[in-house]
Amino acid sequence: MKAFLHHTAAAARREVGRMGRMPMYRRLLFYLPLVAFAFFAVFFSKGVARNIPIAVVDDDRTALSRKLADMIDATPTAWIAYQAQSMTEAERLMRDGEVMAVVLIPYGFEKGLLGNVPVAVENYVTGTNITVNGLLSKDIQTAVTTFSAGVQLQLLTARGMSDGQAMAQIMPVRFDRHVLFNPYINYGYYLAPSFMPMMLLILAVMATIFAVGTELKYGTAAEWLHTGGGSMTAALTGKLLPVTALLLLQAFVMLFILLEVVGVPMNGSFALMAVGTVCFLLAYQSIAVMIVALMANMRLSLSLGGGYSVFAFTFSGLTFPIMAMWAPMRWLSRCFPFTYYTDLFIDQMMRGAPVVYSLPDLGYMALFAVLPMLVLPRLRKVCTEPKFWGRE
Amino acid sequence: MNRLTRQLKSYRDQFVAVVRNEFRAVFTDEGALLIVVFALLIYSVSYSLAYGPQVLRNVPIGVVDNSHTAASRQLTALFDAGPNAYVAYEPTDMEEARELFFQRRIYGIVYIPADYERRLLDGRQADVAIYVDASYFLMYRQVFQELVATIGLTGAEVGLQRLVARGAELPQAEAIVQPVVYQSHNLFNPYLGYGSFAMPAIIIVIIQQTLLIGIGMIGGTWREKNLYRRLCPAGRDRMSTLPIVVGRAAVYLLIYGVTVCYILGVHYKLFHYPDNGTTGAVVVFTAIYLAAAIAFGLALSLLFRTRESSLLLLLWTSIPVLMLSGVSFPREGMPDWLYRLGQLLPSSSGVEGFIRIRSMGATLAEVLPEIRILLLLIVLYGGLALFGTHRVLCSAGCRRR
Repeated sequence: MKAFLHHTAAAARREVGRMGRMPMYRRLLFYLPLVAFAFFAVFFSKGVARNIPIAVVDDDRTALSRKLADMIDATPTAWIAYQAQSMTEAERLMRDGEVMAVVLIPYGFEKGLLGNVPVAVENYVTGTNITVNGLLSKDIQTAVTTFSAGVQLQLLTARGMSDGQAMAQIMPVRFDRHVLFNPYINYGYYLAPSFMPMMLLILAVMATIFAVGTELKYGTAAEWLHTGGGSMTAALTGKLLPVTALLLLQAFVMLFILLEVVGVPMNGSFALMAVGTVCFLLAYQSIAVMIVALMANMRLSLSLGGGYSVFAFTFSGLTFPIMAMWAPMRWLSRCFPFTYYTDLFIDQMMRGAPVVYSLPDLGYMALFAVLPMLVLPRLRKVCTEPKFWGRE
Repeated sequence: MNRLTRQLKSYRDQFVAVVRNEFRAVFTDEGALLIVVFALLIYSVSYSLAYGPQVLRNVPIGVVDNSHTAASRQLTALFDAGPNAYVAYEPTDMEEARELFFQRRIYGIVYIPADYERRLLDGRQADVAIYVDASYFLMYRQVFQELVATIGLTGAEVGLQRLVARGAELPQAEAIVQPVVYQSHNLFNPYLGYGSFAMPAIIIVIIQQTLLIGIGMIGGTWREKNLYRRLCPAGRDRMSTLPIVVGRAAVYLLIYGVTVCYILGVHYKLFHYPDNGTTGAVVVFTAIYLAAAIAFGLALSLLFRTRESSLLLLLWTSIPVLMLSGVSFPREGMPDWLYRLGQLLPSSSGVEGFIRIRSMGATLAEVLPEIRILLLLIVLYGGLALFGTHRVLCSAGCRRR
């Protein structure tokens, strides 16, 4: 045991030396994360989308139609950038990319409202951007509903009802809305926590394949194994230790940015989140080790590992939920540690779920750590036989 | 005159040599081939399959019915009847509902209090509490819309009955219950399919990213093994930079011409993505975009010194690149200067223009600002590629005499 630790330490020292010598290490584990984190921090610093341009076609041009337009303009997301003369002009504005929605207030709007005839208000929202569509649909509908309720209130009080009676008439079933875990419906809350770990896992896979792969590419694998006292486990553990340490450091910078800059809440257990982050990184490093051991070719491993890591986002179900996917895609989604990490993230940071609900996710991620153990014999073979070295 | 024809012939010979060399470089290098040819196909197909069902339906919710009356049962049945949600559980109390929620068995909870029906019959306001999980954007949207629409409909019905009971005429009562009839239409993607929204942008971004990494990989290999010298045509020292850059660009334009045609033609049809633009506009715009992305790739490839550099350093940029295009996060939500800076990426104008043409049916004239930016980028990155290639060749030992 003592010898093992000694050899692991030797391999770790050797790796630190390599980090100092090879500029790619510095780029990959220092400059690149720095740039990336700065980017994410700046990108999400604004947080919510406000004042998305829309057009209003007001065919009525009366006090009431202008009042409705003002109410729409006053919502957080919609901003009336254009008063279009006709629907043709409004459509052109949309194809020009100037507006994202068009609200049509028909001729006879005020007259109808005052004369007790229902009037129609149409909203045309672009479906090409679901995020924008969701924000605008909700806000414009709220504005129109509020306006409509105001008109109802006046009509009913004119008929001699008290305010209380009128409200019971306007909204017989009142609902008390509780938006759980993301009270501001801040889209940054959804994206930042998924994009940043995504970047981290890509780096983890790349850096790990690079660390092992360069030994093969430059034919130094035997020396590496020798430093580990001939023990593949010691050599691998020692090599990955400094890499993992740097990745962990980045992971905690990431959590700090999420909590402090983006403003994501921490409703559950931070300790569990920290353990989960360690499992998450180790799971991806394990996959990387497996790939490079099997391929015994750094460049091919990088292509495969890179290709695999990029898939994680789509299959995590954070944007398009897993439950909506076809069955084979649902099975596929289980093959990415990122899927479990997003579940953990949502449970612990957003929902504040009891710890017991997150333990399976930790377990699944930990399961990936078995992979390197399975390929250790193969890795030893690759490291000892020169025919595997220097392959492109 | 003689000199001009000689010069032109020399250009042509060099161009042919460069094209031949580049084709060989791509097709004999499985790593490059995987990225330049197959990555676009693999990613387009698998992402499209993941988003295959396009819309989220039947999200399970729970209803805690403390009223146990005809009215509350009717409301529950209405929640169940809609397309977006269904009542999977009727827990007896909120504690049980909470547990189901944390087990991810339900994604929304409706609480109907004991006095629900009595209040309705008394002509008062009845209260219903709804709890919707907002940790998944799409789930929140589907569940919330369904619940609010159902409650609104139920309310309107009760309102109408009350007015009629008070002796109002039916058409008049309808106008009081709903003075403004509001209708919202989703254009270009009527059912708000997730694939129809995301895939056009993703495809455009993948095209650029595979080009950057692929060209970078070839450039890095040449740099690492000092192969740039091969670009000097045999039997002459004198070489020109222009045919080299144009020749290399032509090769990628040809390769992507084939794969992009397949993706934007066949694949698009298979998955029924929005297809409102004219073929001519799509082809012209995509060609300009490809040229800009290739120029960017050629310019960038000169920075990589080893074979794996481009993959190691560029893969992660797919995320920021997609973010800067304003698709996953509206441009109004990011700092304006960052969005403007993002215009240096061909993908930003590419995504914007492509979606407007293909999904919204815009004409080329309507995306002129985007085309202008792309043309500027071609000049900018093309110039950098020329300059950089010249420098690299000089240091690789090909000299003008």
